[in-house]
Amino acid sequence: MSDKEHQQNSQESDKPTQPEWPENGGKWSDTEEDPNMDCQLQAMAEEDEEINIYNDETFGMEMDTPDAEDASLLQFAPPPPAPPSLDNKVPPLPCSPSPPIRQVSRTPPGRCNRGRGLQGTLGRGQMFEDPAVMRMVEGRPSIKTLDSAIVDCGSTLYRKPFEENWMGPTHKKTQKTSQSILEDSAIVCVINGHRGRGQNLNCDFIDLPPPVPFFRGRRGEPRGSFARRQFSQREPSQIPPPMLPGSPIFPRQPLTPRQHFNQTNRFIFPSNRPCPSTPKMMQLRFGANSPRPSPFYSPSSNPVQRFRYPDPVTQLHPHHKRQLVQKQRMFQRKSEGWDPWCNLMTAKEKEWITRLQMIQLQSENPYLEDYYYQEYYRRLEAKLAEEELGIRGKKEPPKLTTPYITKTDAYTPVVHIEGSLGQVAVSTCYSPRRAISAVHAQPAYGQHEEHKDTRQQRLELLSKIEKLFIVLLEVEETERTKTKVLSDTEERRLMEKTQRKVDHIWFQMQHHDPLNSTGEFLPFLLLSKGKKLIARLLPFLKRDLSLKILRIVTCNLPTLMNRDSEESLPVLYPPFRNVIGGLTFSQLIGILRDLTSSEAMSAYECLALTCQNKFGLSLLYALLSQGEKLLSSGVPLEPSIGDFEAWTDTIYQVAGQLSQCSLVEPLLLPSNLLTLFCRYLDKRTVYQLKSNMESATGCLALPS
Amino acid sequence: LFYSFFKSLVGKDVVVELKNDLICGTLHSVDQYLNIKLTDINVTDPEKYPHMLSVKNCFIRGSVVRYVQLPADEVDTQLLQDAARKEAMQQKQ
Repeated sequence: MSDKEHQQNSQESDKPTQPEWPENGGKWSDTEEDPNMDCQLQAMAEEDEEINIYNDETFGMEMDTPDAEDASLLQFAPPPPAPPSLDNKVPPLPCSPSPPIRQVSRTPPGRCNRGRGLQGTLGRGQMFEDPAVMRMVEGRPSIKTLDSAIVDCGSTLYRKPFEENWMGPTHKKTQKTSQSILEDSAIVCVINGHRGRGQNLNCDFIDLPPPVPFFRGRRGEPRGSFARRQFSQREPSQIPPPMLPGSPIFPRQPLTPRQHFNQTNRFIFPSNRPCPSTPKMMQLRFGANSPRPSPFYSPSSNPVQRFRYPDPVTQLHPHHKRQLVQKQRMFQRKSEGWDPWCNLMTAKEKEWITRLQMIQLQSENPYLEDYYYQEYYRRLEAKLAEEELGIRGKKEPPKLTTPYITKTDAYTPVVHIEGSLGQVAVSTCYSPRRAISAVHAQPAYGQHEEHKDTRQQRLELLSKIEKLFIVLLEVEETERTKTKVLSDTEERRLMEKTQRKVDHIWFQMQHHDPLNSTGEFLPFLLLSKGKKLIARLLPFLKRDLSLKILRIVTCNLPTLMNRDSEESLPVLYPPFRNVIGGLTFSQLIGILRDLTSSEAMSAYECLALTCQNKFGLSLLYALLSQGEKLLSSGVPLEPSIGDFEAWTDTIYQVAGQLSQCSLVEPLLLPSNLLTLFCRYLDKRTVYQLKSNMESATGCLALPS
Repeated sequence: LFYSFFKSLVGKDVVVELKNDLICGTLHSVDQYLNIKLTDINVTDPEKYPHMLSVKNCFIRGSVVRYVQLPADEVDTQLLQDAARKEAMQQKQ
């Protein structure tokens, strides 16, 4: 056993001498030289005591003995050292957190020692000289408190490593494992201790009676782990402020030791021990940013919770939250047992880390920077609201996203050196790698001129569309923000701006290629992206402009239908429907005429084609429906000469077409079509038409 | 952009194709580095990595992901295009 101790201590002495805390290790190794076990132990005990006191001051756990220099009385009981000495021990650690943790892990044996010693004071005087013995003892099932604590955490896994330790105590590896596990269990105990101390006694805790006596005994243990965690936590606190920008977020102050003490009456803590907690020490110990082991009920200790929410710090869209909850409810499995590692970090620590991450995600314009998420859920909500047919419920609370603040610091955008190609590759935290945007080089290797030309044109078109899209997005954005109440002048200004943008898009599309004879807008319409652009632009266009577009579409419908390889024409349907809804009769007739007249084909052929195409058919239906609506509405139509004849002609033609050829399913089947046909045609034809149309759509054409 | 995109997929079933392996599960959370936490996972390929058998939840570092296979109906491509355009706009500024 002693060799184990030696091993361990040599480990410590192997570490490079560093300030404070490793110095403790050094100290241990110094004391290691003593052949006398007692002296060793005493030194260790003193060490422990000092650290204990440190811990107590930190955490307000009153110690048993007053100022006992009489280590002899309680060899393992911590006398209160002078605070300054403690200060020396606990100064800023320059090294990274992991070494301290490792080093700290060496303390648990001492901790355990002390703990055991305390237990000794409670009547368990056993020999715990050797940390290895400690561990083995812990491994023994007779140490029910420890095991129960472990069970408390649900980490039954911990037993095995302890048993392993028991079997092979000489293995350094197992030592290390045990140490880490001790660490873990200690942390777990800390949490439990915290729980108890903070009197956040939730059902989990209360349900496990065994740990109650455990806590009294384990006082040493938690303190040890506190020390450890303090040391590790002080790392972040010592990091210069710029690295931890989140300091304003952690305004909490630790409970004073008195408060701590007051909170815990279930612990046998003597109250006569002074708690010298100088503010300086507090400052040293509690960096503003470190997570504090405050009495916190770690939510993850809930055994039932299998699918945890992202932390409470993460703010989800309320709709999203609802979805998750629903899903959680649906898939609520019976708890498969305790998650043994769920308490490695306190909730506080987790929250701290999450906050650190969230800080970097803070944005002053969440809609812009979190665009997809926001918009997605907004649309989803809107859709759901529609589906529920107006059962909209209460208004959704304001959306929450990654926290947004008003940024005060200006961030210099991309550095651009004049004359260079592209941008300087400066990596910032917002754009880790900015690739130098290459200048688009003209392909020089031999290709067919015309192919090159077409491709070039296509590319030009596409890039133009993209640019126009950006403008369109701006338009939509202003439209969206317009719902807020604005002053008159502002609103007018916004509208002007919007209009200018819309006009710009229009102009660009219209005069894209003056040399080209294909006509205005057609090149755009031929591309599916262009179709989408136009479809989204249409609501913003004035009536006559949109009518113009409609005419162009109908005039060139055969071409469009032919070249619509991606079947993206239907995207134009909804806005066109709206446009058609606003047509006058003469306009309507004009459109119908366009539909049926084409240079290359006869009316019959045109119509045949139209009926074969989903979009075309739907458009046709829409037009007819509009005509019917106009006619039956009783509003004076002011038709021009020849309108009605054209109308009836069209009706007959269409009827003939519809009844003969097989129809595709239209996007929408207006309900008044049959009424229209009834008016002009005989019953048999109507019946035929009806059956034909219904067979295509699979639904009734009209409830007549 | 993608962080925003993945946020909208939290709670959905995805298949994450890593550079060496294939895992499917439910997207629990994602962070700004596109690290992914999956719950209730199972390894899709013949489980060449048997140590994954007992694992139910996992944390995947963002840099080892090759693909993420998504349910198509959870994605609004139009919206994605718009978001990409906005992002491009922002980058230019």
